[in-house]
Amino acid sequence: MKSVLVILSLLFSASAFAGISVIVHPSNSTSLTEDEVARIFLGKMKSFPGGGSAVPINAADGSNQRDTFNDVVLQKSSSQIKAYWSKLIFTGKGTPPQEADSDSEILNLIKSNPNLIGYVSNEAVTGDVKVVAQF
Amino acid sequence: MKKIYKQCLPLLTILAATNADAELRFNGFASIHGTQVTSDGSTPPFPEYNANENFSFKEQSLFALQASADLGEGLSATVQFVSEGKNNFNTVARWAYLSYQLNDNHMITAGKLANPIFYQSEYEQVGFAHNFARLPKAVYIGLDFSTIEGIALDSTFYIDNYTLTTKVLYGSWAGTVFLSSTGQDETLGLEDVMSVRGTLSGDWWNIYAGTFISTMVGGSVDTNAVLAAAQPGVTAALAAGATQAQVDEFNNTIKWGDKDGIYSYAGFNVDLNNFLVDFEITNYGVDDSSDAFNTGWYLSAGYRVRDDMTVTVHTEKNEQDVDLAYLDGVSNPILYGTGKAISEGLGFREFEANGVSVRYDFHPSAALKVDFLSGEDTRPTVGDYTMMTVGIDMVF
Repeated sequence: MKSVLVILSLLFSASAFAGISVIVHPSNSTSLTEDEVARIFLGKMKSFPGGGSAVPINAADGSNQRDTFNDVVLQKSSSQIKAYWSKLIFTGKGTPPQEADSDSEILNLIKSNPNLIGYVSNEAVTGDVKVVAQF
Repeated sequence: MKKIYKQCLPLLTILAATNADAELRFNGFASIHGTQVTSDGSTPPFPEYNANENFSFKEQSLFALQASADLGEGLSATVQFVSEGKNNFNTVARWAYLSYQLNDNHMITAGKLANPIFYQSEYEQVGFAHNFARLPKAVYIGLDFSTIEGIALDSTFYIDNYTLTTKVLYGSWAGTVFLSSTGQDETLGLEDVMSVRGTLSGDWWNIYAGTFISTMVGGSVDTNAVLAAAQPGVTAALAAGATQAQVDEFNNTIKWGDKDGIYSYAGFNVDLNNFLVDFEITNYGVDDSSDAFNTGWYLSAGYRVRDDMTVTVHTEKNEQDVDLAYLDGVSNPILYGTGKAISEGLGFREFEANGVSVRYDFHPSAALKVDFLSGEDTRPTVGDYTMMTVGIDMVF
């Protein structure tokens, strides 16, 4: 019975996380490809294609949103990404994106700053932000 | 410690004086490695190790802390302190520089900073950033002038789906290098270092090339290794009738001081479908002198068995090319023979090795490394050698 409960709870937690939405400020008219989203979050692209600086905000380390984003968009494990940023941090060439603790914090940041880009779980998206990609 | 404080006082002052709004970021990296080295000839293949002794956690272990203050408007100040076991964990300020982000594409840096002698020189000590317990020595042999005082311009250009990054640097350096011919560190200097590097990157590949040229300051390399070794031959030549003018010209010919130090490298790396391939080749030496040019290269192939485990095999070789053309103007046969012997002595040491490395990321910020290397060094005092390393690399 105990193992059945564990399996059910795992299934429930998996189905509860349906995916992530990449979001920007509603005034941001940019459209982004998956590759461009990845390049912004890897520090390789610092402006939106339509102009204006692009400042990425990461979900908290270890969160479902962050893991999904790493797997699907960046296509790297957490350690690989940390190794990638280590090369940039310790050569003075870049710093990883700032982190926000929750979907609501990311939504609040994005809706108040046109330069920011972030991602939240699909269920968390509100009308205060614009979705530019879904994974 | 007083020396460190004095070295970094200007930057520490800036870091301390940053206003409350400035973002002060601390990052660090550390390696705790146990290494055991065996050598048929009982001399270690590389000077920082001891041969034929138990596992030692000293030579390859290090701790580093980096503080960076974002002063706003694109200006930042960074200082990095490193304590290395091979230097008895004495703390030194490896880097201390100011950076100014001119725009999205260009950043200018000035101070004590990294000189990219080879492709991964800038993060060679950050073990977590690569899959080896130590980068292949045939290329990354540990030349201290990977850190110099100067000014650099880092640029990034986006071309369709490709990224081109370049670095142009000007600076100088004074320090020591290990010479196998004397068996110890000798002082040396580099002035007017001009360095250029370019890297073109796609999604899963990078190709790169770089070079630097500098004017050498001979230091004790000239006095202890080159001219001291020539002295018996010079004495014999003078006794056999050579003129002092011939000797002076000969000394100028064989010495390193005022000659051009030239370093160049090229290579590529691939990371596709969990297969990893790295190749780097370098060529370096002091032009038109008794120094023999070194050619070092390594080729590695790896596979990411799981997200948290990578197995890598590699082969590496470091050769020296004793080219005696620089002696063409030396007509005295005794002096010519002396110069030839010095070049052959300096260019005698070559080595090659094969290794296997396993990296296990047991934590998002820490990796366990197990590395075994088997090699051969042309010095009879070394001969066949092995290096076994087990350790942890981390970033924080």
